[in-house]
Amino acid sequence: MCWMCDEFGDPEHGNGLWYLNPTNYARNMYKLRAPGEGFKGAEAGLETGARSGPSQADLLNAIENNDRVEYDRLTAIMTARGQGSQIVPLEDADKVLELCSPIGLIACICRKGIRAIDERNEHEYTCMGMGVGMLKWERWPERYKGGVAFVNIDEAKEWNHEMDRRGFVHILMLFGAPFIGGFCQCDYPDCGAIRNAVDFGLGSLKGHYVAMVDYDKCNGCGICAQRCQWGALKFEVTTGKANVDIFKCYGCGLCESGCPRKAIKLEPRVNVPAVAEVWT
Amino acid sequence: MTYGLAMGRKFPKITIDLEKCTVPFLCKRCLQACPMGVFHVTRVMSKEERLKEMDPRVDGNYVLYATRRDKCTGCNICIDVCPVDAIKIEMPKQERAKPKVEGEHWG
Repeated sequence: MCWMCDEFGDPEHGNGLWYLNPTNYARNMYKLRAPGEGFKGAEAGLETGARSGPSQADLLNAIENNDRVEYDRLTAIMTARGQGSQIVPLEDADKVLELCSPIGLIACICRKGIRAIDERNEHEYTCMGMGVGMLKWERWPERYKGGVAFVNIDEAKEWNHEMDRRGFVHILMLFGAPFIGGFCQCDYPDCGAIRNAVDFGLGSLKGHYVAMVDYDKCNGCGICAQRCQWGALKFEVTTGKANVDIFKCYGCGLCESGCPRKAIKLEPRVNVPAVAEVWT
Repeated sequence: MTYGLAMGRKFPKITIDLEKCTVPFLCKRCLQACPMGVFHVTRVMSKEERLKEMDPRVDGNYVLYATRRDKCTGCNICIDVCPVDAIKIEMPKQERAKPKVEGEHWG
């Protein structure tokens, strides 16, 4: 279990996975601000915290200057400031959608920045905001350019499955852990969370699963290899089957949901000794 | 990690002439053409304007950055598609790999 589960999970009474155990984190989502206290969590607006800390540009400068001390200092801040995220497979994502309200479909800030894609209506939105922060969306018209479409749980699940079919990774965004503020649908290289995770090993907690291939069922069609955004799954020519590099696998479950022969299953990370405690 | 992030590695220097590139969020050619997603467009945020919505048609409301310059391969596609010639790329000099064992020579 990850450190979030140690702190917020409850294996005896509820669920060991922290995000399925809202009794231990939901209070943070609805906490009122004490007089004189600064904005926190949803009140500060999505992504505000991410802008305030060191950026990737600072990291690149530290690498170019061969400054190991500065690089370690920056990565320590970026890991500690609670701007993390966690990868969840489709089934777990559905369960989280049942726990959070209100749910609003919004435009993706990463696609807006990296590809200048301007999502304007509910058929185009590829991001989701959740929790009471969404009720104040009109305060940040630039972030929510294109508006917000509030949906019920069934519509949210349907949207989630459509995103999965298209091949996006599902990532819970923690705006000040353990506060769940958003639900991103990501791919590489557009998405900031995957870019940080794959290229720098920062920010994202890996999912609580790893993908395992059943070689008896796999016929080597290669659909899963197209869907992997982490570079973890490839077609192994020698055996003619799919091959997962479990050390690179983030447990997003896209290969599992895309497999037409149900040859891939998600194994809980704790059952695989080599990666049981590998979270970044 | 998809490539080595060795300390001391030099990255390409990408300069964007902001006097020529004024409406990147409308133009978006380089943003959508770059295979590695090197560029990033964001609005200019002065404190007073943080709670306003920006009009992408107004000059200078959005600014283009090359935030992921470590991923730049020097393929120059962005330079080809840029209608105002605002982008310049300076690739770092690369040293040829040397044999690991000194004193041994082939051939």
